[in-house]
Amino acid sequence: MTSSPGVRLAIDIGGTFTDLEFVRLDTGETGSFKTPTTPDDFSRGFMEAVRGAGARFGFALPDVRLVMHGTTIATNAVLTRNLPAGALVTTAGFEDVLEIGRHARKDVYGLKPEARALLVPRRRRFGVIERMGAKGEVVTPLDPASIDDMIGRLRTSGVAVAAIALLNAYLNPAHEIALRDALAAALPDVRLTCSHEVSPEIREFERTSTTVLNALLMPVVQTYIDRLTARMAEAGLTAPLYLVQSNGGATAPGMAARAPVKLLLSGPSGGVLAAERLARRLGLAHAVGVDMGGTSYDVALIQNGARAVIAQGDIDGLPVRVPMVDMRTIGAGGGSIARVENGRLRVGPESAGAQPGPVCYRRGGSEPTTTDANVVLGRIDAAGFMRGVFPLDRDAAVEAMRRRVAEPLGLTVEAAAEGVLAVVTAKLAGAIKLSLFERGLDPRDFALMSFGGAGGLHAVEVAQELGMRRVVFPRDPSTFSAHGILQSDIVHDLAKARITPLTPDAAATIDADMALLALEGRRLLGADVLPGDGRALRFSADLRYRGQAFELMLPLQGENIDATGVGALAARFHALHRQRFSFDDPDETVELVTLRLAAVGLIGEPPEAPIGPTGGSPPPATRPVHLGGRARAVAVRQQNDLAAGATVDGPAVIEQAYTSLLILDGWRLTVAPSGDMLAEQLEAGA
Amino acid sequence: MTGKVDPILLEIISHALVAAAEEMSVTVWRTSRSTTVRELLDYSTAVFDADGRNVAQAARMPVHLNSMELCLQEIAANHIPLDDWREGDVIVTNDPYAGGQHLPDFIAFKPVFAGGRRIAITCALIHHVDVGGGAAGGYNARAVEIFQEGLRIPPVRIMRGGEMQTDLLSAILANVRDPETFRGDFLSQIAALEMGARGIRTLTDRYGVETVIAVAAALLDHSEQAMRAAIRALPDGVYTGEDFVDGDGLEPGRKRVAVTLTIAGDALTVDLSGTAGQAAGPINATMATTKSAVYYAAIAAAGIATQANSGCYRPITVTAPAGSLVNARFPAPVSMRMLTGHRIATAVLMAFAQAVPDRIPASYYGVTFNHAINILHGDGRRQVYFDYSIGGWGAHPEADGPSGFAAGFHNGQNTPVEMVEAIFPLRFRRYGFVPDSGGAGRMRGGLGLERSWEFLAERGLFNGSFDAFVSRPYGLAGGEPGQGGRLSVTRDGVTTELAAKTIGHELRKGDVLSMITPGGGGYGPPAARSAEATADDLADGLATPAGQAARGRSSP
Repeated sequence: MTSSPGVRLAIDIGGTFTDLEFVRLDTGETGSFKTPTTPDDFSRGFMEAVRGAGARFGFALPDVRLVMHGTTIATNAVLTRNLPAGALVTTAGFEDVLEIGRHARKDVYGLKPEARALLVPRRRRFGVIERMGAKGEVVTPLDPASIDDMIGRLRTSGVAVAAIALLNAYLNPAHEIALRDALAAALPDVRLTCSHEVSPEIREFERTSTTVLNALLMPVVQTYIDRLTARMAEAGLTAPLYLVQSNGGATAPGMAARAPVKLLLSGPSGGVLAAERLARRLGLAHAVGVDMGGTSYDVALIQNGARAVIAQGDIDGLPVRVPMVDMRTIGAGGGSIARVENGRLRVGPESAGAQPGPVCYRRGGSEPTTTDANVVLGRIDAAGFMRGVFPLDRDAAVEAMRRRVAEPLGLTVEAAAEGVLAVVTAKLAGAIKLSLFERGLDPRDFALMSFGGAGGLHAVEVAQELGMRRVVFPRDPSTFSAHGILQSDIVHDLAKARITPLTPDAAATIDADMALLALEGRRLLGADVLPGDGRALRFSADLRYRGQAFELMLPLQGENIDATGVGALAARFHALHRQRFSFDDPDETVELVTLRLAAVGLIGEPPEAPIGPTGGSPPPATRPVHLGGRARAVAVRQQNDLAAGATVDGPAVIEQAYTSLLILDGWRLTVAPSGDMLAEQLEAGA
Repeated sequence: MTGKVDPILLEIISHALVAAAEEMSVTVWRTSRSTTVRELLDYSTAVFDADGRNVAQAARMPVHLNSMELCLQEIAANHIPLDDWREGDVIVTNDPYAGGQHLPDFIAFKPVFAGGRRIAITCALIHHVDVGGGAAGGYNARAVEIFQEGLRIPPVRIMRGGEMQTDLLSAILANVRDPETFRGDFLSQIAALEMGARGIRTLTDRYGVETVIAVAAALLDHSEQAMRAAIRALPDGVYTGEDFVDGDGLEPGRKRVAVTLTIAGDALTVDLSGTAGQAAGPINATMATTKSAVYYAAIAAAGIATQANSGCYRPITVTAPAGSLVNARFPAPVSMRMLTGHRIATAVLMAFAQAVPDRIPASYYGVTFNHAINILHGDGRRQVYFDYSIGGWGAHPEADGPSGFAAGFHNGQNTPVEMVEAIFPLRFRRYGFVPDSGGAGRMRGGLGLERSWEFLAERGLFNGSFDAFVSRPYGLAGGEPGQGGRLSVTRDGVTTELAAKTIGHELRKGDVLSMITPGGGGYGPPAARSAEATADDLADGLATPAGQAARGRSSP
């Protein structure tokens, strides 16, 4: 063991690159490193990143104190349906619930059947004779013959995983537990997962689907973790490993393997964590984090300095009822294709992706994209793209824009390209607006935080469209997710569902539930290996008006509640309901539906290191950029040349290693001591 | 003409108008109280221009969406002229004879003002759980006049200048069986109108009133042009289709819906002459239902990739004889108008199948299994449970029909079994596919659903608005029809079949009620189905050896 304070690592494995970010625990110095992702065995790229970063920045494997890891392994397995064959064990008579789903179609006027996500075919959905009632009472005991029958059917089907999801098990899990124990004893090689463990909440389809997804992901994630930990051990990397979950909290590998469905947003949640942290550091109470890549645009909110976590999301049309960061994704990115249909200009959701990519990539793309529009207008420097390593073909982009957009609409090429970008801006702004609307929030109260490779050229325009006056660019947008993962806390999410009217005499019941949750939370945190002794118990309550089906989540202070506290909580609910939906109903009963506890092991924030001095300030260059309907000489600055406190007035393009930022007229960019950049609209431009 | 609108602004503002309708939809979904609204999603929201033309819709129920404009136009023409609508007013009606469809559907409109001028109208339609009258849920199978179907509210201002007219609201609440739920859903509906109005005012603040108005007009023109282009691509000709409603539950015999579709150039006409006369019982449709069904079927058959709105209706002419099943005269009962509405849609689609056989599927289940129970607890409490079930899609020329999936003239979710059981005294026995119920064919029709439960309260009165027990969903191109529906109740081990139109069937503790919905029709000759597909159906139990054998015996 070395006596140095050591380093903490964050590793984010994406589709193309494996990003590593580290921090020295004494100086707070950070650095980042990228290596290609190795899809045949992700753990190989993982260790290559660790070794490469160590060699470049001078740390050894024994110096590593903690490894935080974000992975898309679960997401990719679902999106590509690269999942093992599994079985579903459910209450007899309800075997088809998984396939019926909620049975609404998306395309209202479509006559051709929509593809329906089906995780387990009917031949492997098995019913068992048992029944729990709606108050959690046993109506029909678990039938022993039915258990024997089930063992036979599972054995014959040859599956390696099975989900157990029984009706009303969210109220009483006894039958699920008994069934699991019996099956585990008879079939030790079959992995089992129960709905009351994965998602103990009402609505059988959502709970069953989440449980099935969990079952199918278990072997995928277990194999991955086994391989990764073996490779780490073999290399002598003995620091504890934590995986980032969809809610932004990290968990130990053993927990992750049991609840892999909680890893579905493991990667993107890192970006949201980073956004949350950056907002706090810059003193921004409210921010919208937007991550724009080649094909998609992810929107997440930071409110009062904290990310929003929702109880249910979906992936590829499948509901996933576990806590996750609240994120809206639309199909709009650098590769989104522009088309004219019936005299109307549309952009996306079709994307040229990385292959064939935009026309200017010269990889066979023939339809103009968002990136091509940026190249046509000079916002992206075709010759200097990626520091000149990967020059772009501007002429091809111009030609495609002319043929596919300008001529059909009777516009000049520049007007067509500006039109494409205006439509993109409207789509991005629309996605943000809807995310804010769902909470009744006003964009003007938020700062826009832009990251991802394609976002910087659009962020200020989007902000202007929404009346937002501040845009934040992190120092290094391209490894921003890894940066966020570095700061992830360990989080155990616990919940107690019990519908309780919020009356003063409910305080005792709620207080008792809080005490039970606190006990369990402390027990789980006790098993974690933490760098320090920081612990926090954060309670929240899901509240609604009697009869409503959807709740608003309100944080609770402290670990106890009394009659006064219950009254105050109800008052806060009325106010929030009015804010979000334009009305409240003070005479109606407020119900507490679910009490939640996030038991948090605090990782602790390392000190922030300021950016170093720059090597002088070369004279700013200019480049012709088409902006606001005319060609202009626009200042071009290199980010590396900008010292802390430097300001740049728009119009200007700021170039970074892997991306560029566009600052419009009436906006001023200021570099913070941390190297992050804040663009603000000047009063005159209001 | 408005052809001069900037194509980029057109795209931007059209997204924003649809977003406003979606914002309204989210508000209803998140804040409503009944399982009918928040789980089934039996509601729709839309945005209209200042003259009452539908500009943007939130994707929800075609049956609602394509009737809202007719209602608004009727109100403006014969009840409350648009120029009398003031800022802060909300106009509401449920009257089928003032542009509505049946009494449970309350349609609420709110004018949106900017700079003292009416610039748009927002609309939210909600199916309310109960409207009083002779049967819970409004499904009075014995009604021969609309007066027996519940409370009828002509177009009135429920809000004036931003003030709720509480006298009127009290009068409504006093006449429905579950006033608390009604009130909760109603407040949600009114709030949604304001959320939509906010979205539109944001737009006019940003782009100016004139621009938004010009874009709305251009959007209608664009949708009209897209619809005309799609119709032009269809082969000209006269095509016919027909379908049948089992009956009205009072008079014997099936009721025919007859369609003559004329495609000529860029316009089409649907004439329903030859359809049965107005029924004594409540299966009649008013023109709002009929036009809405034709618009749905025509937009779907045209296969246009454009925003559905009022512009799509312009090339379509609908005629129907007055006093017929599809154009009922006051005061004919209409509560089960959806049974007929579905068959109008399937008859129109059958006619289109002759014009474009490669894109029209066989008939879907053809009926929404609407039902409501007036639940009378031993302690005197009362609850109204409203729900519906659906069946299988018709097979498409290129695909089997999905089983148990919302199709056609309506769309919506199921109510989770656990949610029903948590609120109402029912315990489900089965919710699943009905093997062998899909129509045989080269492509198989989707399977119907069984939804059955045990009744746990002291006493209940069951009302059902069902159909397609006799008149099964048709097959196409040699495909067989889907299996029909069934309703039965089992007491003390004895099973009794119930009529498709059932009112006040008394339930007692321990009774088990079972609803079987129809499967979709098949497409193409059954003999042409691949051996592999048949083997898969058998392995998954979607078809059974017994079912296959029975089909073999019944084949000619």
